[in-house]
Amino acid sequence: MTAFLDSILTGLALGAVYALVALGFVVIFKASGVLNFAHGSLLLFGGYLVAVLHDDLGFAGALAVAVLATAALAGALDRLLLQRGDPDPQAAHVQTIVTIGVDIVLLTDLSRRIGGDLLTLGDPWGDSVTRLGSVTVADSRLAAIAVSALAIGAVFALFRHTSWGLSLRAAAEDTEAAALMGVRLSRVRMLAWCLAGALAALAAVFLAAFPAPGLERTTGQIALKAFPAAILGGLTSPPGALAGSLLIGLTEALAAGYQSELHVLGEGFGDVAPYAVMVAVLLVRPTGLFGAKGAARV
Amino acid sequence: MSLRPTTGTTPGRLPAAPPPLRVRDVTVRFAGLTALDEVSFTVAPGSVHALIGPNGAGKSTCFNVLSGLYRPSSGQVLLGDETLTGRAPHRIAALGVARTFQNIVTTEGTVADNLMVGRHVLSRAGFASTALRLPRAVREQRAHLARAREIAELTGLAARFDTPVALLSYGDRKRVELARALCLEPRVLLLDEPVAGMNGAERARTAEVIDTVRAELGLSVLLVEHDMGLVMRLADEVTVLDFGRRIAHGTPDEVRRHPEVLRAYLGTPGEDAPGEDVPGEDTPARDAGTRGTTAQGTTAQGTTAQGTTAQGTALEEATDSEGDPV
Amino acid sequence: MSERIPKGAVVLLAALLLCAPPFYLDAFWLRIGLFSMAAAIGAVGLGLLTGTAGQLSLGHAFFLAVGAYGYTWLAGEPGPGLPTGLAALLAVLLAGAAGGLFSPVAGRVRGIYLGVATLALVFLGHHVLLTADSVTGGFNGRSVPPLSIGGFSFTDDDPGLVLLGVPFGAEERLWFLGLALLAGTWWTARGLLRGRPGRALAALRDSETAAAVMGVDIARHRSAAFVVSSMYAGLAGVLLALAFRRVVPDYFGLALSVDYLAMIVIGGLGSVAGAAAGAVFVTALPLLMTRYADQLPLVTAPGTTDGGVGPTEAARYLYGAAIVLILLYAPDGLRGLVRRVRTRLRPAPPAPAPATRPSASALRTKEPTP
Repeated sequence: MTAFLDSILTGLALGAVYALVALGFVVIFKASGVLNFAHGSLLLFGGYLVAVLHDDLGFAGALAVAVLATAALAGALDRLLLQRGDPDPQAAHVQTIVTIGVDIVLLTDLSRRIGGDLLTLGDPWGDSVTRLGSVTVADSRLAAIAVSALAIGAVFALFRHTSWGLSLRAAAEDTEAAALMGVRLSRVRMLAWCLAGALAALAAVFLAAFPAPGLERTTGQIALKAFPAAILGGLTSPPGALAGSLLIGLTEALAAGYQSELHVLGEGFGDVAPYAVMVAVLLVRPTGLFGAKGAARV
Repeated sequence: MSLRPTTGTTPGRLPAAPPPLRVRDVTVRFAGLTALDEVSFTVAPGSVHALIGPNGAGKSTCFNVLSGLYRPSSGQVLLGDETLTGRAPHRIAALGVARTFQNIVTTEGTVADNLMVGRHVLSRAGFASTALRLPRAVREQRAHLARAREIAELTGLAARFDTPVALLSYGDRKRVELARALCLEPRVLLLDEPVAGMNGAERARTAEVIDTVRAELGLSVLLVEHDMGLVMRLADEVTVLDFGRRIAHGTPDEVRRHPEVLRAYLGTPGEDAPGEDVPGEDTPARDAGTRGTTAQGTTAQGTTAQGTTAQGTALEEATDSEGDPV
Repeated sequence: MSERIPKGAVVLLAALLLCAPPFYLDAFWLRIGLFSMAAAIGAVGLGLLTGTAGQLSLGHAFFLAVGAYGYTWLAGEPGPGLPTGLAALLAVLLAGAAGGLFSPVAGRVRGIYLGVATLALVFLGHHVLLTADSVTGGFNGRSVPPLSIGGFSFTDDDPGLVLLGVPFGAEERLWFLGLALLAGTWWTARGLLRGRPGRALAALRDSETAAAVMGVDIARHRSAAFVVSSMYAGLAGVLLALAFRRVVPDYFGLALSVDYLAMIVIGGLGSVAGAAAGAVFVTALPLLMTRYADQLPLVTAPGTTDGGVGPTEAARYLYGAAIVLILLYAPDGLRGLVRRVRTRLRPAPPAPAPATRPSASALRTKEPTP
């Protein structure tokens, strides 16, 4: 039972962090129709900044700088590279591949800087733990859940109550109509990218915090697990992404927690379980669990 | 020059008289909006049947039902004894129903490449036999290319046969679509605004092609067109839609005098029959931008053919965009 | 499309040029060539799927792995120890079968979304390679049994062979095997692209709706394109395994899939020649930069740890940037570049009306983005 509760808590914490990343995918996709394959590198960029700055600025200062800088980088990426071409409907597909190119460059650079090192981020939770009944849980995990919940709540509030959120939803529904209604699409888009970048930087902190050993050059690849989460959620639905993330987080934690029972699947199956879930779901529902139904067409 | 496949080796459909195309009480609803409301009509074998109505009347929706892109909420479409409703688009195409699109949809490549796509259902070569260039596949391709060239000649595209479609003029590209549809050797041809955006000479040329095709191949044509001159000249029968309902039906002469039709087009009962180009293009489409946008608050994303902002397209695209995000 | 030089002569000249290197170059260059040829075969397969059918795949590394490991296991010990020629053939079919198993997803998931779905193949595949020790040899991989057809083996001796005074070792022999396989790939892929399936795939890429009403069975063609692409990847995997002589799981990661995507983007989507050219560029660049690291500015020799830019990294910077720049400024890639130069050298075509469509670009689907 304790093991089960332990897995659940771990899963929730993981899911909460994936949700930060998956929400980024969804926001970017809604605003620009692009699947951002450079998201892992953006996340790594944010984490790396915290790692190198926390000695001088303190953790909070470093985090603030990292969040802003990653947001700026993501926004610049969109504005300077992706928004160059004319906005024809195929542009989104081309831009998606452009993000793969950007990812290669960014990831190569960050990997070179990080090398084989494990960077600490100087977060205040360290390796302290809290006992909740029979379960011992790392403070960083509790913090992950709390901070993610706050951040996600803030994002949902942004969607609902700001003119940007309204514009974003309008743009996602129909770019042409939104443009006619006076929505400045390029700004809405860029802000969406900034928001996604900020969330990614935040996620980096928790992906590198205890019990993870620290920030590695492969930390960015973990962000890719939020892809299945976003896909399960249907890619256009923020609540769907949240649900998908929790599902992915729990699957991963349970698969890891019950590894001995699942040994036929091989050691480390937890790490790839999210992808197995994604394939299973896509086989049944090619549009994701929360995706719009295929309507009455082909 | 004959329109029938000349070479004995060309696999084509037998040019027997097409069966009637019957549309029975077809209703289509999108998110609470009724795009078609119990519409019925029959395209008699070998006739040209025109479907007219103001923008947003449901003409394009009707086409999409006929070609299997939409599944109606109720009602049936029959080609002879075969039910079309519920079949996948490619199966309907295989039964001999070909169509063109309002906004030109061609494939990258030459005119020949595009026409050969039209030969798809009539040919067999699969991945393996094509990759290995088996004699059977090579022979088949050659025969179909010869037939595609004939159709290009017929439609006035012979000189452009090996030209990339991207380099063609608007009118020529529009004709590529028509030629491609003819390449299916269809029994029923659905033409969605075949002359929209064309100049006078191009219109006359296309009208001539439609007329010849019908006369020589004996196929049935269902035509959506705003050019009333063309409709009056070509059509044997006309069905008029407004707000998704059939408001009139008959010969061109009957329809142009029908009070409901005049009201639908001009807003008030008038004396003048709808003349050349009246509906759709010169008349500001009444209620433009209202009905289309109510469908899930979305409007057209695609670029529609010059001058015609058809809400039919808006509806299509609105539902298209509902499509699978994954 | 009239070329001034007869086509046959061009092919013959190219064939002669490609047959020459084993007689003049040492093993280092031959290996670069060999890896490039293997990559070209795989890239042609991915080009068919991504460039022609408009379906993004990041799972190509998985199918390369199926080919490489399939051959190694089928021909080796432990494993059935089949005749190596048969094992190679079966490995290609195995890759195709693996693609077929994924076809319920590959047939229904469209465009860039397939790219995400295929991520699963890479990660799950890598996991299996690491854990299924008895078949794959686990983390350390397996050594690859050399190919031997009809008593002629692709090794340094057995039988010893000297042609025109040049001793024919494994590299020289594999060079000609690679050439033959590449020629076969080229020939079949061109046939496909210009035949009925290729046109159907291009049609469904440009508009799913239009293709469907023309009678193209969308799901079937998408699945078939995926299977064929997997088979080319499998063939490339077999050749890579033979060239490496050892297969290890870490080679077949996401980065490899991305490399293949880079190849077809750099070469220009939708053309066989482009894919091959891109493959040579992406494969040879890091190897050449490693070799000449000491002579290149801004690049440090491999193994030094002073924080400089190593040759492999420099190559990745270059082709990452190449992807971005090509897609933004020359969406046709190398192929488009060649075509533009050729058009300039040729008399103007008869009265072309202004092109209103955007030039050939990447993955296109007319359908609005969902």
